[in-house]
Amino acid sequence: MKTKKNKLTVRNLKLWYGESEALHGIDLDIVSGKVTSLIGPSGCGKSTFLRCFNRMNDRIPNCRVEGEVLLEGHDIYAPDVDVVQLRSHVGMVFQKPNPFPKSIYENIAYAPRIHGMVDDGDDMDELVETALKRASIWDEVKDKLQQPGTALSGGQQQRLCIARTIAVQPDVILMDEPCSALDPIATAKIEELMDELKEDYTIVIVTHNMQQAARASDYTAYFYLGDLIEYGETQKVFTTPRDQRTEDYITGRFG
Amino acid sequence: MNQHTFKRFEDELNLLKSKTVSMGGLVEKAVRRSMKALMNYDQKRATKVIERDRAINALEVEIDEMTRSLLALRQPAASDLRLVIATIKIVTDLERCGDLAEGIAEYALKVHEHPHAHMDSLEVLSDRVLQQVKSALDAFTYDDVNAALQTIENDKRINKQYKAIERENLTYMLEDPRYISSGMMVAAISKNLERIGDHAVNISEMVIYKVKGHDVRHVDHATAERLVSGELDAE
Repeated sequence: MKTKKNKLTVRNLKLWYGESEALHGIDLDIVSGKVTSLIGPSGCGKSTFLRCFNRMNDRIPNCRVEGEVLLEGHDIYAPDVDVVQLRSHVGMVFQKPNPFPKSIYENIAYAPRIHGMVDDGDDMDELVETALKRASIWDEVKDKLQQPGTALSGGQQQRLCIARTIAVQPDVILMDEPCSALDPIATAKIEELMDELKEDYTIVIVTHNMQQAARASDYTAYFYLGDLIEYGETQKVFTTPRDQRTEDYITGRFG
Repeated sequence: MNQHTFKRFEDELNLLKSKTVSMGGLVEKAVRRSMKALMNYDQKRATKVIERDRAINALEVEIDEMTRSLLALRQPAASDLRLVIATIKIVTDLERCGDLAEGIAEYALKVHEHPHAHMDSLEVLSDRVLQQVKSALDAFTYDDVNAALQTIENDKRINKQYKAIERENLTYMLEDPRYISSGMMVAAISKNLERIGDHAVNISEMVIYKVKGHDVRHVDHATAERLVSGELDAE
């Protein structure tokens, strides 16, 4: 028996936007060093759920959270938690690549500098290079580190954003539809990258592309109308789902 | 189950299944008619069975082509995927059954050279085998897991009967060496029938895979039953 270590533990998580309850008590463990995909139709709560992991929902007025989200056993909603610190542990990559309007180098160096991880100079150069290499974009940008990040192609920008995320050495990387604006080649590069990165990071990805969930994730969670309907190994979920609602969704029977 | 949002995909899956069912129907007919030709020394009927095997082969090719395009173009998942996978395997079994029936028909063409061959027990065996083919195909048509399990279990009786024929046949050959060539024909036909029974088992196993997602090949009957009932987890 292989032992699974849980990076994140969610217990009876409920979330309200004003009066409306968007998540109805979710229980889920996110396995360490694996890719977990969250799938489900629009409005099912999967992005809302993803954003609970780094408290991005805090920014939304009238949003209220109940229940527990534990990162390695520590409640991330505890009053003494520094949200900025939390987000350096739980990084996020968004649907639309959003590099800072700065140089490629500065995109990576910015966060390590403000977190006081390293000083400018050789150490910073090294950190930038490592992060860009880790995100498989170094070879494409090493000769133009001072050019603006926004000048890169969409797929390169997305990998730059992943490099920026891993520059601060997070535990978890959240990805909210990271490939929806990318072509199949750029998508394949991101998926390949996820496969490499999961050795060091726990990845949670929201995707509308079910083939992507099937290809790129180890575990799949299916959300519907604010409930977690089914969670299991991706291979199982896509060949023999237990719940009829999961079956209908992944086979394309949208009632 | 809900309908596919993609209507044409739904149609393709239904067509795949109905083609497989009709291929099964042709195979069932071929087995029945080859035995009838044999028992009645009916060369005309035997020739027809041999000719019609081409239709079975053509269906195999057509269904294979359908499964290939479904996999490439639709990327089926879950029960749709299992239907496609099961069909790929079932079609191979059916095609083999067609060949085995054709083999029996070929013996029917020259059975008149063996007027003293003891074939009564072959008829009994073939009735049972036909029943097996029929119930395996029904199980596929109606997604009937219990019928599939029953078919797998019934194969034991067929194997037993096949052994009995083998022994009986051997006795005849020992008694009278002139019977040996007839005896070899009877042995070959009974072997064909027994193999058709095995293919019915394979089909039934694929029905269970298709409906439940469990691979019950190479597990004993009690384990298969527990898997199907959900009492036992696949791991």
